[in-house]
Amino acid sequence: MPFQKLATKTDFEREVMPHLPALYGVALRMTKNEGDAEDLVQETVLRAYRFFDTFEAGTNCKAWLFRILTNTFCNRYREREREQEVLGEVESSEANLGQFVGTTPRDAETALLGKMVSRDVERALAAVPDEFRLAVILADLEDFSYREIAEIMECPAGTVMSRLYRGRKMLQKLLYDYAREQGIIKMGTLKGSPNPPATGSGEQSSPEPTRQIPLDQPIDLDSYRRKKGSET
Amino acid sequence: MKCAEADAFIHAYVDGELAGMDRDAYEQHLLACDACSHACRLQGRFKAAVRGHLPPVPVPRGLQQRISGAIASAPPIRRRQIWHAYPRLVPAAAAAVILFSALGLARRGHSPMVFEQALRTYHSALPMDVTGPSCASVVDWFRGKVDFALPTPSGDHLGPCRGGRLVNVQDRFGAYVVYQSPGGHRLDMMVFNGDDELDGADRRTVAGRDVYVGTGRGASTVAFRGRDGLTYMLTADLDQDSLQNLVQTAMFKH
Repeated sequence: MPFQKLATKTDFEREVMPHLPALYGVALRMTKNEGDAEDLVQETVLRAYRFFDTFEAGTNCKAWLFRILTNTFCNRYREREREQEVLGEVESSEANLGQFVGTTPRDAETALLGKMVSRDVERALAAVPDEFRLAVILADLEDFSYREIAEIMECPAGTVMSRLYRGRKMLQKLLYDYAREQGIIKMGTLKGSPNPPATGSGEQSSPEPTRQIPLDQPIDLDSYRRKKGSET
Repeated sequence: MKCAEADAFIHAYVDGELAGMDRDAYEQHLLACDACSHACRLQGRFKAAVRGHLPPVPVPRGLQQRISGAIASAPPIRRRQIWHAYPRLVPAAAAAVILFSALGLARRGHSPMVFEQALRTYHSALPMDVTGPSCASVVDWFRGKVDFALPTPSGDHLGPCRGGRLVNVQDRFGAYVVYQSPGGHRLDMMVFNGDDELDGADRRTVAGRDVYVGTGRGASTVAFRGRDGLTYMLTADLDQDSLQNLVQTAMFKH
């Protein structure tokens, strides 16, 4: 019976262990608890070891590990009821979510960027629902491409774009709220979009307001291309 | 592109996920729209700020030790039996055949799209990634950014360089160089590796060489395959014959 070259424990450690810091960092920000994060990483690595025969040498080991971590997290740590509750809250507050960028005064946006503190960023990120938080972490902290994130999260690339769109906007909204609570920013409010986005003077600009992407609706680049193709 | 569309793709643009004509169309909108341009800059700064405030977390020493210990005491990694993979390889191979067939068909049908790209880019007047002071410096800027050596033009046959821009041609990078032709016309040259994108285009023979032509929106494009294996596409607001003559003079005789 034919066999492929046997992978050794040394091969495994050489491939996998360099990714331990990234795995732990993401696990900590997903579980929000050091003990759970350690358990999640340990389980992820041991599952990877058990199934290392299915890993194709030379392919993206980091993405493969994060896919295992994501699956393990979803199966074991995610509080589904709570998740649904949070998603419901987010969906019902769509009107209040507004648009941070483009609807708040520019001075306030700039002030927020200059006065953000790490504690508040961690706190705001932790308040973003799991799917959106994971997309933001994978894109912004781990530099995965949309295609890799789609493979890790087992969803279409359009859904990744949508989750990033929503996740980042939630994060910005939360940080803006914290800054207002602490008196760092006093001007502007998101409710009711008091400062509609200014529109450019170019021919291709349109005066319509920026749209709200419905929760988790994929952003479809192909549809946009088809639409543009039919217009030309 | 409208502001609502620009908003939907703002993260894809900031994350560098838009390429080719999508990126061109986006940047064209940004040039005309102060609000979207501001939003893009802000999103980029916000992304960098978040990253800066969320530093890597050190792995607890105990975790590393536990994992190493668990691996040391675990049984050897199991062998992968080839026949186990066959059930997955068979449908994968079938899917690959279908995919490659479809891509082959799509590629043949898609070939003249590169003419559309050349004309669109010409009319878009997008910002340059590099400008002057000389053609040599513009050409030099592309070194290491494209997977070929962009030839330095000899003499001033195409006119002085205005600048250059990196473009995507299907799945690879290409060089886009803007010249001011001797007749005062703007002359844009797109150069990329490979030659099969010209298949299916209108072909003529000029000075014993095959050239491919396309026209649209008041501009013409003349393309040819260089002896260096690169494809050259020149676009200007000239009629096809005038552009052909210019190409013949500037490119074939030197």
